[in-house]
Amino acid sequence: MNVGGKLATFLITLLMVSLSFMVFDIFLVVSWNLGSVLRHEQENVGIEVFLMDDAGETQAHNLADLISVMEGVRSVYYVSPREAEAIFRADMPDQADLLALLGPQFHLPASLQVKLHPRYRTSERVEALARTISGMDGVDDVVYGKEYLPGLTRAVSMLEKLVLLAGLVLAVSLSLVVANTVRLAVAKRALTVQIMSIVGAPGWFVRMPFIGEGIVTGVAGSAGSLLLTAAVSVMLSPSVPHEFLPWSWIVLVLALGACSGAAGSWIGMRSGIPRPRR
Amino acid sequence: MVISFQNVSRYYNDWPALERINLQLEQGEFLVVSGPSGAGKTTLFRHIWMGDLPSSGTVEVAGHSSDRIGRRDLPLLRRKLGIVFQDFRLLPERTVYDNVALPLQVTGTSPKAVRRRVFSLLAEMELNHRRASYPHELSGGEQQRVAIARAMVAHPVILLADEPTGNLDPEVSRKVIDLLVEINRTGTSVVLATHDPRQVPAGVARFIYLDRGHMVNPNSWDGYDQL
Repeated sequence: MNVGGKLATFLITLLMVSLSFMVFDIFLVVSWNLGSVLRHEQENVGIEVFLMDDAGETQAHNLADLISVMEGVRSVYYVSPREAEAIFRADMPDQADLLALLGPQFHLPASLQVKLHPRYRTSERVEALARTISGMDGVDDVVYGKEYLPGLTRAVSMLEKLVLLAGLVLAVSLSLVVANTVRLAVAKRALTVQIMSIVGAPGWFVRMPFIGEGIVTGVAGSAGSLLLTAAVSVMLSPSVPHEFLPWSWIVLVLALGACSGAAGSWIGMRSGIPRPRR
Repeated sequence: MVISFQNVSRYYNDWPALERINLQLEQGEFLVVSGPSGAGKTTLFRHIWMGDLPSSGTVEVAGHSSDRIGRRDLPLLRRKLGIVFQDFRLLPERTVYDNVALPLQVTGTSPKAVRRRVFSLLAEMELNHRRASYPHELSGGEQQRVAIARAMVAHPVILLADEPTGNLDPEVSRKVIDLLVEINRTGTSVVLATHDPRQVPAGVARFIYLDRGHMVNPNSWDGYDQL
């Protein structure tokens, strides 16, 4: 085959691999952005402990000390009635007049803001912790996003499983795409493979160029898909605000490309190199 | 003994390509395998380089047995063989030099040793002036000489030539046969498959005749004439 023909075949292969990978890249971008929203929500998961009106500042600090040594608690912050009022005024400036209407005797309750370690931000663990805290002296009420937390936990877990499953399915299907391509390449170079084999070339010597070609095709194909996806991402950015993939995921896509290429070549070579038949 | 076929049969979907073949070849011997198309000559050759394995019986070649040979042993066997085909099977994108050097390059021979051996062999074959040419730039006779040079470059124990003169005119064919005889005189065992055993000078070789997978009148040149 002439150089032009070889280049055309390589480019067609590259395009096929790129388009296959692009489906995966788009899925990753959507997953990444959805994951960002979920992660942001999860970071805010915590417990707000409202104290009884008669609980003084000393009791509040004692409670804070007790809670801060509980398993899964990262930090405890005491919000005094004065600070609560300042937060209320800052968060809801339109309703600040309401406080004046209620008179000088009224004050917002003091509270403890309990932050949790990331792996304790699941609905079961937060609920268990909240139950323990609500039974403590001086505690009036405990609030922790009871309604949305189970759904959020499920969504995060499902998204993680979905990305993993899609990654596996795509790695296998891309390996088959590359395997078919390499099988064609082996068929086109059947004479070279046959002569190499007949003159006593070891198996790895015959396979190496094809494995190398598979890895290059996989990496180039995945890089091409990332470029195409980035272009689509830039075009959609003004109407659908989102983030592109982080570097660690880009490296992961390229590594997946290399692995699929190598695996595909290996599969392709198994059926491409003649073996003695009995 | 460099080749031994012990009661070898080979079937392709119940069709017998070889039937109960018994054959021995001593070191330095010249064996001519003759017979019509489809007689089993190429199948016999494929069993020598173990591109095929027998359905029953045992083939032993240069210390390797078809009963025990593994995938990793095949390259070791094939490095002891030189193989020449009717259609030359030269790599079109490689020059004469690179085609001849291939068997040494795949075994990791140093470039210096490869150069020395290839230049010496090309000179012997009167192909030195063609070393930078590509196969399509050569005549049929030259291509076959390059194929023989490639087969001989790694000092094989056995040279297998499967119809090497099939695509050549009588004058060039005679030169190729002379070259094979010359190679045999240096101690290399030669197995030649040909439609026309009369090309080989009498007294040089042992002849066998294959017909529909069967060996007929082995070891008898006269017997062949009567067939």
